[in-house]
Amino acid sequence: MNVQFKKGVLELCVLVLLDKQDRYGYELVQKISDQIAISEGSVYPLLRRLTKEGYFTTYLKESSEGPSRKYYALTEEGRTYLGDLLADWEKFTNGVNQLIKEGVRDE
Amino acid sequence: MNKAQFLEKLDNSLKRLPSSEREDIIQDFYEHFEVGMSEGKSEQEIAKALGNPQQIGKEMVANYRLEQVEETATTGNVLRAVWAVIGLGFFNLVIVLGPFIALAAIVFSGWVGGLGFILTPILYVINVVIYPEIFTFYDLFFAIMLSGVGIFIAIGMYYVTRWLMKGFVKYLNFNVRMVKGGMGNA
Repeated sequence: MNVQFKKGVLELCVLVLLDKQDRYGYELVQKISDQIAISEGSVYPLLRRLTKEGYFTTYLKESSEGPSRKYYALTEEGRTYLGDLLADWEKFTNGVNQLIKEGVRDE
Repeated sequence: MNKAQFLEKLDNSLKRLPSSEREDIIQDFYEHFEVGMSEGKSEQEIAKALGNPQQIGKEMVANYRLEQVEETATTGNVLRAVWAVIGLGFFNLVIVLGPFIALAAIVFSGWVGGLGFILTPILYVINVVIYPEIFTFYDLFFAIMLSGVGIFIAIGMYYVTRWLMKGFVKYLNFNVRMVKGGMGNA
């Protein structure tokens, strides 16, 4: 898929994954790369930016194996932002799907 | 590339960040490797999936620069942010540097014009000192009037400059969000 396009959508993916539960970095990266082909490292700059913009908070939690892990939690602000992005996304995909349908019908 | 090599390359590309920031970033990637290895992956596999450490570093630096601009929009900070965003990829050379040069030219010529007008009376006086016979009150007052116009232009330019800087920083932010950088060719 087009690289520019993916990068914009990555933000939405991360926010959606944190909506139901807090997750650590590795987990987020794996969840996304299971579905979409990405350079996994590019998730981390995004996580830092969204944290600094106040959409996430982070905390460290001990793990049974290895060092403690940094968890990301969605803030109220982040939840509102996710809502906006989801609405945009739906509008956008509905539009594209409609065009595809019409295009197929014409042929 | 193994874990140590990856982290070293990443660390090298973060040289321009404050050390607290840098350590924090390295820690995140260190954790990523640790978790991956505890799930049975090799260092090489994890490094490969992460992508190019230098590109990740560049993106971290660009993000940091943009934050700095949002805190204090000094000319130096804006220039550093522009530079960092351009560094993200060749594509940005065109779509960031082009508009930046155009805007910088507008701002520069506006200021030069304004300052030139403000300085007219001084130039006029120098001229009269050299050639006293050309002095007329009409020219003197005209020079003073131009000086007044120059002050208005300068005040206007102050606001135009601030407004353009803000707008351009928004554009840089958009750029970092949407344009290729750190995504590699996965």
